[in-house]
Amino acid sequence: MSAWSPRLDVAIPERVSLVLPVAGIGFRSIAYLVDALLLFLFWVSAYFLFSLVLSDFVGAFLGLSGVGKTLAIIGAFATQWLYWTLCEVIGRGQTPGKRLLSIRVVSDDGSPVGVLQSSVRNLCRIVDFLPFFYAAGLLAMLLSRENRRLGDLLAGTLLIREERIELDKYERAPADGTSTPIPAAAEQLSPADVELILTFLSRVQELTVESRDRLTAALVKRYGRFLSDHEYRALLASRQSAEAFLRARAQPRA
Amino acid sequence: MESLGAFVARRKGDWEKLQQLLAQQRSGALELGQLKRLDSLYRRATGDLAYAQSFFPGTDAHRFLNQLCGSAYGSIYQPPRQHWTAVRKFYENGFPGVFRAEKRFVASSAMIFLLGLALGASVVLVQPGGAELLVPARMRQSIAERRMWTDDILSIAPANLVASAIATNNLTVTIFAFASGILAGAGTIFTLVNNGIQIGAIIALCAREHMAMPLLSFIGGHGPMELSVIVIAGGAGLMVGQAVIDPGDLPRRQYLKRRGTQAVKLVLGCAPFLAFTGVIEGFISPGNLFPGPVKIALGLLLAGAFWTYLSLTGRADEVESSASKSGRR
Repeated sequence: MSAWSPRLDVAIPERVSLVLPVAGIGFRSIAYLVDALLLFLFWVSAYFLFSLVLSDFVGAFLGLSGVGKTLAIIGAFATQWLYWTLCEVIGRGQTPGKRLLSIRVVSDDGSPVGVLQSSVRNLCRIVDFLPFFYAAGLLAMLLSRENRRLGDLLAGTLLIREERIELDKYERAPADGTSTPIPAAAEQLSPADVELILTFLSRVQELTVESRDRLTAALVKRYGRFLSDHEYRALLASRQSAEAFLRARAQPRA
Repeated sequence: MESLGAFVARRKGDWEKLQQLLAQQRSGALELGQLKRLDSLYRRATGDLAYAQSFFPGTDAHRFLNQLCGSAYGSIYQPPRQHWTAVRKFYENGFPGVFRAEKRFVASSAMIFLLGLALGASVVLVQPGGAELLVPARMRQSIAERRMWTDDILSIAPANLVASAIATNNLTVTIFAFASGILAGAGTIFTLVNNGIQIGAIIALCAREHMAMPLLSFIGGHGPMELSVIVIAGGAGLMVGQAVIDPGDLPRRQYLKRRGTQAVKLVLGCAPFLAFTGVIEGFISPGNLFPGPVKIALGLLLAGAFWTYLSLTGRADEVESSASKSGRR
């Protein structure tokens, strides 16, 4: 976890406070670029589709009557603007780009955004875009708590991150058999310590051999103060037994 | 106290069931029994969250429960689904209602716009050289040659796009007049004055060059309605600006949210009317298919109908409900 990241604190009617991580500028920018790319591809493919059907696209367009032309242009304009609000309302706060990045627009009380709020924040893109490429929006995000651009400030919305958190690490059974029994005198570990050990064990596969051994030794030392020097060295002799010891240490004792 | 591992092992089944029910709910296929189960599972998960908050803060189990309860909260407490009837109600009641409640903002917006208009017109009338600053060169040239620049752009093929560009320009001005209210209202005032000055200068220049009638017959059809919409959007922008400057007793972020969602109703309400004027602009305004006075009459009639609609529709309900409210008190 990073040192400090903004969070959204919501008091829900069930009398607990929900704490949701707020999406940062990086996530939001990439999501925007994905959406912009999608819109761009849509127009490119629409253009080619029309050019396939009509041999002379520009000619056909210019041949349209005044009404047709105005409607076509207004339609294109509306697509460009409605895309955001339609996607956010139908996708429960997620445009395709935001879905890809697992971020979601919510109202600042944690509830999903409605049509009005979504319209406000998306109409304000025109101001956030000033004076070039979202400079005002980025500045507002840097200055505001919870990384809000001007549209978010006016609509009372913000973006939260949806993390996928695996609970598997809590369930892995301790390796049976030969691990060192934990003496009854050993102190009970706090939840934070248990979390540290389990998180380490769930990530050992991703570590390089050196860091894995170094961290294992450090953890065994920290959580095995009751071990004699001899036992300590015997444990560290094989990686398997050291990790089995840590796993056993993280288990509650009856 | 239960250990973290045992806690997770004991409750994980329920959490997974809740996740599965939530996914099912999103796809819209829940039966009554499942719904009840969703509700009770959600309540127990919030209990688990409170427990984890006290005993296992900062662990992954705690964050998992935050995520789970957050998405369940979003699903359970979502606002009622909007149907098409909501759109009808909005136009019968919501849009005109907000307009009437906020008329002083719309009136201020109209004043600012008219001020710009008068300024632009008087500059050109008093000091003809001012036109060089205020009216684009191309327009000045065609006015000097006694041609309407609008005939120009509509008869030469590639420049055809310009007419549609005018339509989208109006949309952009409307959106900008609202959204730039967030800059403490300065953006809105600038937009209103700026557009007022330009239009005033053009009208004055045409009047001096005896081109007033061709101009009026071009803009007469769509102009009144279009300017009405821009003035209303300006009113919405001023509402936002006022909220930024003076939030009153509420925290600024709360007041902004409340006023922003109110103000946007004015803009959204105007959207179909603006699209409709776009059609007039493309179909009726250019060319000589309709005589000038007819276009002007049509434009004034449409704008008049629009303002009448805003002032009167749903008013009876309002009076009634406020009467019953005061009666209850």
